[in-house]
Amino acid sequence: MSMKKMLALLLAGAMTISLAACGSKTPDPPEVTPKAPVASASTPDETPKDDGVWRPFNEKGETIRTDRDATGENGMVATSNVYATMAGQKVLQEGGNAVDAAIAVCYALGVAEPFTSGLGGGGFMVIHTADGENSFIDYREVASSGQTAESWLDASGNLIENANSVGGLAVGVPGEVAGLELALAEYGSGKLTRQQIMQPAIDLANNGYVVSPTMYGAIADEYERMIGEYSELGAYYLKDGLPYEVGDTVTNPDLAKTLQLIADNGADAFYQGPVAEAIAAAVQKHGGVMTVEDLASYKPEERVPVTGTYRGYQIISAPPASSGGTHIVEALNVLENYDIGSMTVNSAEYIHLFSETFKACFADRAAYMADTAFAEVPLEGLTSKDYAKTIYERINDQAQTWNAGDPFAYGHDSTTSFSIADKEGNVVTVTQTIECFWGSKIAVEGYGFIMNDEMHDFSTSLDSVNKLEPGKRPLSSMSPTVVLREDGSSFMSVGSPGGVRIWPTVTQVISHVIDHGMDIQEAIDTARIFDNGTDTGINYESDGVTPITPEVAAELEAMGHTVTDKGAWQLFFGGVQGIVYQEDGTLRGGADPRRDGKALGF
Amino acid sequence: MIKKISALLLAGALAFSLTACGKEDSVTPPGGNAPAASSGAASSGSGELTGLTEAFAEGPVLLTTGGQSADYQMVGTLMKNLGMEYELNNVATSADLGDAKTLVVVVGGSSKGLGAAGIDADGELARVDELIKGAEDAGLSIIVMHTGGSARRGDLSDKFIAPIFEKADYAIVVKSGDEDGLMAGICTNAGIPADMIDAISDVATVLPKAFK
Repeated sequence: MSMKKMLALLLAGAMTISLAACGSKTPDPPEVTPKAPVASASTPDETPKDDGVWRPFNEKGETIRTDRDATGENGMVATSNVYATMAGQKVLQEGGNAVDAAIAVCYALGVAEPFTSGLGGGGFMVIHTADGENSFIDYREVASSGQTAESWLDASGNLIENANSVGGLAVGVPGEVAGLELALAEYGSGKLTRQQIMQPAIDLANNGYVVSPTMYGAIADEYERMIGEYSELGAYYLKDGLPYEVGDTVTNPDLAKTLQLIADNGADAFYQGPVAEAIAAAVQKHGGVMTVEDLASYKPEERVPVTGTYRGYQIISAPPASSGGTHIVEALNVLENYDIGSMTVNSAEYIHLFSETFKACFADRAAYMADTAFAEVPLEGLTSKDYAKTIYERINDQAQTWNAGDPFAYGHDSTTSFSIADKEGNVVTVTQTIECFWGSKIAVEGYGFIMNDEMHDFSTSLDSVNKLEPGKRPLSSMSPTVVLREDGSSFMSVGSPGGVRIWPTVTQVISHVIDHGMDIQEAIDTARIFDNGTDTGINYESDGVTPITPEVAAELEAMGHTVTDKGAWQLFFGGVQGIVYQEDGTLRGGADPRRDGKALGF
Repeated sequence: MIKKISALLLAGALAFSLTACGKEDSVTPPGGNAPAASSGAASSGSGELTGLTEAFAEGPVLLTTGGQSADYQMVGTLMKNLGMEYELNNVATSADLGDAKTLVVVVGGSSKGLGAAGIDADGELARVDELIKGAEDAGLSIIVMHTGGSARRGDLSDKFIAPIFEKADYAIVVKSGDEDGLMAGICTNAGIPADMIDAISDVATVLPKAFK
């Protein structure tokens, strides 16, 4: 590990953290999204700054879509929440490396954006060190030992309503604390103590943070449960029985206490003893089967990232149990056959190619992707340029229905392996989640955190390669991705939440930057599309930056596509945070105006 | 509807007479359950939005939603805290009016809520319309609220606003949801007393004043 420890000596770092919420079967995020002005990325913000902290909303309580980007020389943090961004920046400025800062951000996000991630969840971390090492830390949740795919079924074999997304049987054994401890031990700088790294999150939980329109919407959407069966959750996020309003300050001393226990005693404080007992009790109270033994036996995994290339750039992303990195490489391999840069972004021709590519990848996803500990996944074939060529050759000028291909036939012709010799930047990108907003809706009383509903990412079909099995990781789409230049130097990091929309969204942003030379904020702002081959066809943003126009929608329909207008600035399409290493040596950070993202550099 | 028309005509007549006299006393229109308004005149459609000045409603209350957002449940929490007698029913029809003497409809569209209730927007609108007609026929007072602020505006929510607010005897609106003046305009034009409040929690202040 000596090379890994060398990372600690390097101060320059960049990090992007993104969070995932709502899995493949719950595509719609909170819908009470305030109206907001449409503006370009760099217009002056109209945010009240009376408490000194940037806010993603104006004095009317409306989300602003501007002032999300930043430029820095020594470090950059871009997350979905300004308080978490500040936590990461503080750690970098105190001499921590990008991994230290990532850990600080992960814990802070669990405080200030509790509906998307936290101690009760899990995630993926991609690390590219300044000395050229790549790693992937998998702290995805696993199914409890006592749970099977039949657990959600009634006597007639039908799925009990919401059983896989709400309540105890939706909860997987959480991995966040163990994963972050692994990252700290293996890749932390060693300059800062765990206490120093976690202190921003502890302070945030004790002193509070301001509620954004996004958080208000998340609370309002689950209000009925918060005043009903899941009143433990409401106890933390309601004020006098009503949702905290935009601009209110929320504190969570119970969560601060739990974070301090972890700061004092590491992962054991979470996976053993009173906290573990409280988790098991909370899950069982709501019908789950998780035990303290399940918690004690949780282990994060360090894996080899999925790799590929796109027009000479190297792609480093998430391997199974995420499908995301694999399909980003697969999709980019297909798109590489076209001169995307010569096309008009979001023209009919452009959208058609992305749509067909995404549908082909989704067909493969359904057929092959699962936890590799439980299924044979043809990773080499799926990321093979020759296999991608077969998809390219089938795409014509009409919309098609796609079935899975035969990537096994390309299993010995994998994408390029590469070495990295960057001496300028370490990159960490994380995507973590408790799955749907507010996870399983179970809050652990006295400890202030929320349990995931990650079991929702398993298929409910007993025949699926991704069916629930004890100890198995559910299939994810989370795709934290690092892009390197051909010479191995750091170029870009990017990630997004958004369930199955994650990897198509990340693919579009990577293409915008590489094919059209967009600034990272412009790439993030640009209207997106999504198509997984289902009845809604091409879902698109009809307002915002470079929106899909009615004329383009009509052209797509003429090509045989079904189209679905999703409006503007839709959480549906994810929330991308990204960083680009610019040619002049500075770092550009971009954050998604579709939610509360904010980049800060220094 | 007869009640509403009568109330509007009377309110208009009273407004005229008050204007002529130059008095600023509040007036309770006779007949029905129509409420009184503040600002020196009953709401009259003359261009001035007026608030409620006199109690007109009685319990028990049937509380429902117009659009299936969770806002009606928040109002329910406030009414519970106030000790008010109410029944909460998000799919109520006229058959559920029971012994209620006041119908409270909290407007706010939610596609998730509609999905959970197993109803589409048109079906929801038809349900509320039928419910309100039943309430009018039974002589109930009707209070309509929009408490979700700007977050509960948009195509879906707006679909419910006009058809429901036009039937109100009294309206309560969180200001941030009416920057375009849609609800204030409806109330002004129809002579419906309306109180514009800063936050949903202010419902606890104004709503009790509507009850005798």
